[in-house]
Amino acid sequence: MMQAHPVPARRFAATGSLVMLWALPVILVLAYVLPFAGVTLWSVTRPELGFENYVRIFTGADFQAIFFRTFWVCLVSTAITIPIAYLLAYYWVMGSGRRSRLIEICIFIPFWISVLVRAFGWVVILRNNGLASDVANALGFSGLSTGRNVWSVITGMVHFMVPFAILPMASVMRKIDRRVLLAALGLGCRPIGVFWRIYLPMSMPGVFSALAMTFIFSLGFFVTPMILGGGRVVLTAETVFVQMFQTANWGLGAALGVVLLAVVFAILWLSQRVMRIEQLMSR
Amino acid sequence: MFGKSRLGGFLAGAAGFFLLLPLVAVIPFSFTPKRFLSMPDGEYSLRHYLAIFDPDTWLASIGTSTLIALLSSVIATALAAAFGIGIWLRRPASGRFLIGLVLLPIIVPPVTSAVALYFLLAQIGLLDTIPGLVLSHVVMIVPFAVIAILGALSRLDRNLELAARNLGASQLQSIFRVILPNIRFGLFAAWFVSLVMSWEESSVTLFVSGVNIITLPKRIWDNLRLDLDPTVAAISVIMIVATTLVILFRKSEA
Amino acid sequence: MNNDLKTECLELLKDGHLAGRIDRRTFLTGLVLLGVAPHLGPRTARAADGQLVVTNWGGDAVGAFEAALTGSYAEQQGIAVKIDGSGPTKGAMKAQFEGGAVSWDVCDADPGATKSLGEAGMIEPIDYKVVDREKVQAGFAYEYSVANYFLSYVIAYDAKQFGDNPPKSWADFWNVEKYPGKRSLYKWMSGCMEAALLADGVPMDQLYPLDEERAIRKLNEIKPHIVSFWDSGAESQQLMRDGEASMALMWHTRANLVEKDTGGAVSWTYAQGVLAPSGWAVIKGNPAGSARAMDFIRYCQDPARQVDLLRTLGCGPTNPLAHDLVPADLKRLDCSSAENMSQQVLMDMDWYSARGDQALEKYLAMTAS
Repeated sequence: MMQAHPVPARRFAATGSLVMLWALPVILVLAYVLPFAGVTLWSVTRPELGFENYVRIFTGADFQAIFFRTFWVCLVSTAITIPIAYLLAYYWVMGSGRRSRLIEICIFIPFWISVLVRAFGWVVILRNNGLASDVANALGFSGLSTGRNVWSVITGMVHFMVPFAILPMASVMRKIDRRVLLAALGLGCRPIGVFWRIYLPMSMPGVFSALAMTFIFSLGFFVTPMILGGGRVVLTAETVFVQMFQTANWGLGAALGVVLLAVVFAILWLSQRVMRIEQLMSR
Repeated sequence: MFGKSRLGGFLAGAAGFFLLLPLVAVIPFSFTPKRFLSMPDGEYSLRHYLAIFDPDTWLASIGTSTLIALLSSVIATALAAAFGIGIWLRRPASGRFLIGLVLLPIIVPPVTSAVALYFLLAQIGLLDTIPGLVLSHVVMIVPFAVIAILGALSRLDRNLELAARNLGASQLQSIFRVILPNIRFGLFAAWFVSLVMSWEESSVTLFVSGVNIITLPKRIWDNLRLDLDPTVAAISVIMIVATTLVILFRKSEA
Repeated sequence: MNNDLKTECLELLKDGHLAGRIDRRTFLTGLVLLGVAPHLGPRTARAADGQLVVTNWGGDAVGAFEAALTGSYAEQQGIAVKIDGSGPTKGAMKAQFEGGAVSWDVCDADPGATKSLGEAGMIEPIDYKVVDREKVQAGFAYEYSVANYFLSYVIAYDAKQFGDNPPKSWADFWNVEKYPGKRSLYKWMSGCMEAALLADGVPMDQLYPLDEERAIRKLNEIKPHIVSFWDSGAESQQLMRDGEASMALMWHTRANLVEKDTGGAVSWTYAQGVLAPSGWAVIKGNPAGSARAMDFIRYCQDPARQVDLLRTLGCGPTNPLAHDLVPADLKRLDCSSAENMSQQVLMDMDWYSARGDQALEKYLAMTAS
């Protein structure tokens, strides 16, 4: 705590900073947390009091399938995103000036562009008779379906997530002391060994936060599956939308939202634990 | 330097190409002379760029999005700055909890946030209004502003403020004369990030607006679903070019 | 700005609001004063005196409604009529009613959805003292809605490929050997279960109640050949126009547009089409009052106006008297004429009201598995 001020605290010092501190939390509680709690409450009050909605979600084969698919799609897109992002982060941080700048441009142009425009770009490429199928035909894979399936959704999601995943990794990589690497090289370690035994472990905290972030973000994807999935890739977020606005089962929709949120918090908790263990190990 | 294999370099190049590919791919589609989405075959036309200047549709949406983005980014930055400075000055025991609270909208899946905001706005009669959208955008973008400002404050030397106070500055004076000027880059970053986030906000906007107020992302979404005409390619190209110019310009500044 | 005062006010408002002592208006005024809701007041399409808000599904339908129905009504009655194209989904209508902030007067809604909402007490029953039951095709004057136009779920096909021997049934649609190529169905189920059962040999007059399990089994057969379950009319048009699908279940209005766009390279048929009504419905507590809403519904029953809607949007009239007024070039589009109707099945909205939601969940599970 800051030491007590010698001058008798003026009125602003006491209340002013308190007000500054609390303005945003109070607004968020009013405009976000309370309505959120209200909707959450529906999961046990609509259509009638009880846990009926949760029972349906956890025992219904249809909902299990949706959760399983969501989980699978998120897992695969995270698994593809992380290595791509690591590679780019590595060359961004460690690369020579010109290459580093080029990669930076490749990262930040898509980063600042709307998810809608980016999904639209993939529509143009992936639709049948589009760019990708022309390339596939030219390579001799005729009749290959390139668009409107789970893989086009994953492509779109990976494309969205890569720039986000790069940032935490790059910020950890920047802090790695290059003298350690030089010392290892000086001691006769082969460059590839330096990478695997020193660089990679030191950059792992960045990988873990990128991992958690990518997974959490991909759980919430709504626009991309809807535009690229050909109606076939219905994930949890869209199911919430269907239950809320299409069939008007508000209780069920709310319960789905709660389950989704619980998964998010579980991942956050897990990633914090992993990072703590990581820190202990590195000591 | 170690670990610069030819293979790695090639793969990084390929990854960079992957990131730019869909943005480059839309360019030819915007020049088609046809009224539906297609590759131009030999004939090029600017008609879809001209369609953007329709004051009743695209131009109106660009104006709406600009207005909403300006309002919500300023409000979000002000709230985030007040919050950040409050945390920095008081270092309350509940600080971690409070930061967690204000970061909630990033963590919560957007569709859940959208449902909560939809029913709030329906309740208070602000659905599909500018104030309603500004409120929703502020909620959704304020975490980014908070992160930027807390980052700037963490690099601020506490002694600076103590010195100011010891020299007799009131807290208010120290905030306006010492703290704020010293985190001005953080403030700018917070405002800029909020501005962009609000400008392209779609996850909540799609639910809470649509008739009176049509932001640009909402219009793009409607177009993708209802018409799929090449105007959306043209507007995409304009946004891509603008973004690229800003990034290149910033690069050459640095 | 005095931050002290601002937050004090906010705290006060919050406490008051939570305790229920301050009503919504005061709370809003407070927010406005605090700058949360700056100078721009609410501008919802809310009907006040002398205003009527009609809601439909957006896109071309906004202009078409304006030209055929609302424009002349506004002029005749001396009031403003606004069209809100945001789509009166079941959830949105329910939210309007329960939120206590109804802003729509007349909804162009799904009769199945309005029936279940009506039975829950959210929809005003149609006042048949004002609305003329005689001016509606028999069987389509429901308790909570009245049919305003018809739309048919038809087979659209690649005429370049199949022009010599066009598909004549859903069995042909399912036959990918005789009619090679990809298919497309509607993402939101309507019409698709019927198509599957007809393909499976269920006679046209014994469709309802739909055998959901059998339909899903049959749909699973065609699923590997589905390029996309289209979500919007434009998407279905694009799939056929670009040849991504060689056959699709489409709204006849959209099929007609693709046919024009492609100069006949894509064509369509009413054979075994599923004819579905849409309906006018009024949410209880609508701002302009139910009398005004019923009057507008009555106005739209005029046969000439229904033909106008056919011309602008391609939707079939519900007033039997309208068919005689349809000019020759629109006869094909007139899906509810006796001649065209004889080839189609009528969609049973009671079934949709009773089973629609559960069936939709099964259907979505099928599309996504």
